[in-house]
Amino acid sequence: MKYLALIYGDETAWSDLPEQEQQAMYEQYRQFSESVGDKIVGGAETAASNTATTVRVRNGQTAVTDGPYAETKEQLGGFFVFDCGSADEALALAKQIPGLDHGAAVVVRPAYVEEATA
Amino acid sequence: MKYLMLLTNPTERVESWEKLSPDEAQRLREEELPKWGAFMQWAQEKGIQLDGLELDTGSTTVRKPNGDAAVVTDGPFPETKEVIGGYFIAQCEDLDQAIDVASRIPVAETGSVEIRPLVER
Repeated sequence: MKYLALIYGDETAWSDLPEQEQQAMYEQYRQFSESVGDKIVGGAETAASNTATTVRVRNGQTAVTDGPYAETKEQLGGFFVFDCGSADEALALAKQIPGLDHGAAVVVRPAYVEEATA
Repeated sequence: MKYLMLLTNPTERVESWEKLSPDEAQRLREEELPKWGAFMQWAQEKGIQLDGLELDTGSTTVRKPNGDAAVVTDGPFPETKEVIGGYFIAQCEDLDQAIDVASRIPVAETGSVEIRPLVER
């Protein structure tokens, strides 16, 4: 079963961190990824939210706007995709995401599973 | 360049789906499937690599507001008018191509697609 863990944080606080502390954070993420191993099947850091582009199509016309779909103080900064046995296990993994110790919020979303058809 | 594409639906739309019976929900999904099939086929013909998941509506938020102990709450964060229903990671030449891809995702017609470049490390 796959779960998406979205990591939201205050990106200004992140960009204000000294380079050394950012490197320390990346190191924590490397250790987290290593310890979880093959239960992580995807993930990445997203570039700052001011690089976001939102696309909508209405009546065949494409409208493109700069910025994320929601202007909120805490923005998506990255994500993991877990492949694990249960929602409890996904939550246990999510609780170890290093950003949580720096004020981030992690949202865990189960993937939709197509009902088996005989 | 890799781009994350967040597929979002207006909250009201998601809430109206949640009221449907399983049979009605399944019928609605099946009606939508040809559009998704056409999009996936287009991407394949263009050689655009796509990887993604459709998400269920359940959502759990974890925070550590006071240091060590994780606090778990039901529900999404942040509270917004749109709900993420799925995502794709698309390998595109540039943002223009990513916008072209995003505009062909069926969700763009009813909600929106947010494109976020991924940091390559």
